[in-house]
Amino acid sequence: MTVAVRTQTLPPIKLIRNVPKEEYYVPGHRTCAGCGPALQYKLVAKAAGPNTIFLGPTGCMYVANASYLCTPYAVPWMHTQITNGGAVASGIEAAYRVLLRKGKREGELPNIIVMAGDGGTADIGLQAMSAMMYRGHDALFICYDNEAYANTGIQTSPTTPYGANTTFTPPGSAIPEGKTLFPKDVPQLVIGGHPAVKYVATASIAYPVDLINKVRKALNVQGPTFLHIHSPCPKGWKFDEAKTVEIARLAIETGMWNMYEWENGEYRYQFKPKKYKPVREYVKLQGRFAHLSEAHIAKLQAFVDAKVRAPGIPVATPVPTPQ
Amino acid sequence: MFIIPKGKEVPLGCVTPAPVSEQPMMITGNWREYRPVLEPEKCDLCMNCVVFCPDACFQLDEAEEKVVLNEKYCKGCNICINECATDALTMAYELDFDDGVVRLEKPF
Amino acid sequence: MAREMMLSGCAAAAQAAKMAQVEVICSYPIRPYTAIMMELAKMVANGELDAEFVHGEGEHAQLSVVLGAAAAGARALTGSSGVGVTYAFETYSPIAGGRIPLQMMIADRALDPPGDFGSEHTDAMSCRDQGWLMGWAESPQEVFDNCLINYRVGEDHRVLLPQFVCQDGYFVSHIPGKVVLPEQSQVDEFLPPYALPHPLDPKRPVSHGPQIRPDQGTIMDLQRAQAMLDAPAVIREAIDDYNRIFGRNISPFLEEYMTEDAEIAFFIMGAHTMTARHAVNHLRSQGVKIGLVKLRFVRPWPTEDVAAALSKFKAVGVVETSTSYGSAMHGGNLLHEVRASLYELPQRPLTTSFMAGLGGEMVGLKDFYYMADILSKAVKEGKTRKTVYWVGFEAED
Repeated sequence: MTVAVRTQTLPPIKLIRNVPKEEYYVPGHRTCAGCGPALQYKLVAKAAGPNTIFLGPTGCMYVANASYLCTPYAVPWMHTQITNGGAVASGIEAAYRVLLRKGKREGELPNIIVMAGDGGTADIGLQAMSAMMYRGHDALFICYDNEAYANTGIQTSPTTPYGANTTFTPPGSAIPEGKTLFPKDVPQLVIGGHPAVKYVATASIAYPVDLINKVRKALNVQGPTFLHIHSPCPKGWKFDEAKTVEIARLAIETGMWNMYEWENGEYRYQFKPKKYKPVREYVKLQGRFAHLSEAHIAKLQAFVDAKVRAPGIPVATPVPTPQ
Repeated sequence: MFIIPKGKEVPLGCVTPAPVSEQPMMITGNWREYRPVLEPEKCDLCMNCVVFCPDACFQLDEAEEKVVLNEKYCKGCNICINECATDALTMAYELDFDDGVVRLEKPF
Repeated sequence: MAREMMLSGCAAAAQAAKMAQVEVICSYPIRPYTAIMMELAKMVANGELDAEFVHGEGEHAQLSVVLGAAAAGARALTGSSGVGVTYAFETYSPIAGGRIPLQMMIADRALDPPGDFGSEHTDAMSCRDQGWLMGWAESPQEVFDNCLINYRVGEDHRVLLPQFVCQDGYFVSHIPGKVVLPEQSQVDEFLPPYALPHPLDPKRPVSHGPQIRPDQGTIMDLQRAQAMLDAPAVIREAIDDYNRIFGRNISPFLEEYMTEDAEIAFFIMGAHTMTARHAVNHLRSQGVKIGLVKLRFVRPWPTEDVAAALSKFKAVGVVETSTSYGSAMHGGNLLHEVRASLYELPQRPLTTSFMAGLGGEMVGLKDFYYMADILSKAVKEGKTRKTVYWVGFEAED
């Protein structure tokens, strides 16, 4: 059933001044001042261009963007439930395949992009995301990771870091660190068991050129692709909103966020510091970590140390990829 | 059969028109306490402010060779000031401006 | 040349979907509807049907996939049974409120607990208030008819609502009956191509479903209410066309059987109607003035038709195969809607609810004779002794 219906190749860019000028995520949305997810959305929309359909599972990038009775998306967009971004995207892709085949639509398969939060990707949306990856639909699943269910007032999600204060993991005398669980490694969930997936990458708003290039590479690949984009949240993480990009940079410099691509079994790393800054420098700037003791910070540092030793767990046996 | 009061219409199935270059139903310029002010002589057109604004409020005017702020939507988050490579942008108190604090005609 | 075949309800559903030229199908296995998907899978695999056959990861996903497909502009089909129907519940309001006219085939199955493959209407009935068209088939032929009729009505721009096309599990879904398959040209004449007003298309960008304020929510609800008010006229039109094109004589909402001088009647829908007809025949031969009224559409509920049809009887037994625990009179769903339909009449018949066939139990001729006896006694005594009878489980009257 795989028919090559896309010949589009979006070109990579070299410099910030080459960032495309056209806006497809336009001014006029109710996101917080300094919103990290809004910034990545703008950049993703620029990278994808006008031949794009976005899916918006419920979350910040739905509720904050689409209030009230208006949206900032200059391309077609549809709200989905937080549970089913991957499934709805699959249906749209299937429809376009048959409509193009029957001559009821002209041109090529459009870019189909799910813009899901960490909950809509790795928690309640995990089933649908995994099934889209498994079935081989030609679409891109983006997780904008602000490390909480932010839209509902900052509750813990499977990507919330150890030790974070959220309204479901408040620190107290009985539970001093707040969140006791360590997060899921979302790109590894995708890489680990989906034979049809050929490209997975992490990205950050700190490096917009790299982000745009990864979006374009993912869209050029025929088949399902996954991007995990670090999107700091000033409200949820409790830092000065002017520092959103700075915090994103620091996350990479301390190892709390790792930048890499995985393509057909090979890893490529970007912005890997020669010497990592201590996690303490990242943690001290954010109110969500203000309650942590030295013991807690040490635990977090140990977790990061193990993680940066091998960002992305190399697969022991080759994953068979279909022809 | 049903009378929908004027101004209260909702499009069928809640399918709304897509905006083209801005979304005037969500003016956010009146959110800000501080407005970024540019000193063009200091600016080297690094484009950080244009790229890092979550609200796409800085755009390059190619003819003027100057970055221009969209005051209708700027929320005053000050990311642009933080990321400016040459300190060409500074914060100024919004109410110090004659047109400071743009108000919505019909606040929610 | 029309062909006559012996087909189960599931096979008839698949044939109808094929002739409707559905474009995106999303499957997930659960008894007893699975047979529909297995038939369609074969048709797609051997090139008989040009459609995308997507393997959903669950019933909630099935509905989500076809929502996307139909919103993008393809005629979409899915289906389920029992707890699969209720697992997908989150999606039903978004689909109906978003005015996406896709179709879901339901082969009824009793809800858990525990596992029970038998047919009960509760699975579909518990979803009846979301704004979907909903109706039952008595036979595989009716399954075939209802698939085409529902696509035609649902996709009409005056309606734009999704449709539940229901059939009793096993009794209709798996027992073969005579089905007349028409010519493709006849189906094409009856069912125009799918054309959604605002599909997802980069050439004409739109935003589907931005957040609204509470005061705008009423208007969203009114849209669905208006569509349901407009639907009956479209249904009548469609069935007129169906009868003309296919040489049939279907009545849109109610079918009356031997009701001319009847004093008592069964009000019934679904598989057990067939048994009820035989019961009516036998009772008539014994001089009982009994008839039967069969319901085709639960949504939109044909209030005036029900009032007009039932007003001529002295007592009506509403035969129900779904539960509504704790509701008024502790009756089933149909009793309430029948009584509401009759409320304005100056003269109302006596009504009782007969809870029969729950769990997928057989409803035999003896059960209908029992019900008829109760109705006859009620007419003699001028009142019903009870409002709700659980057939086979009541103490001797």
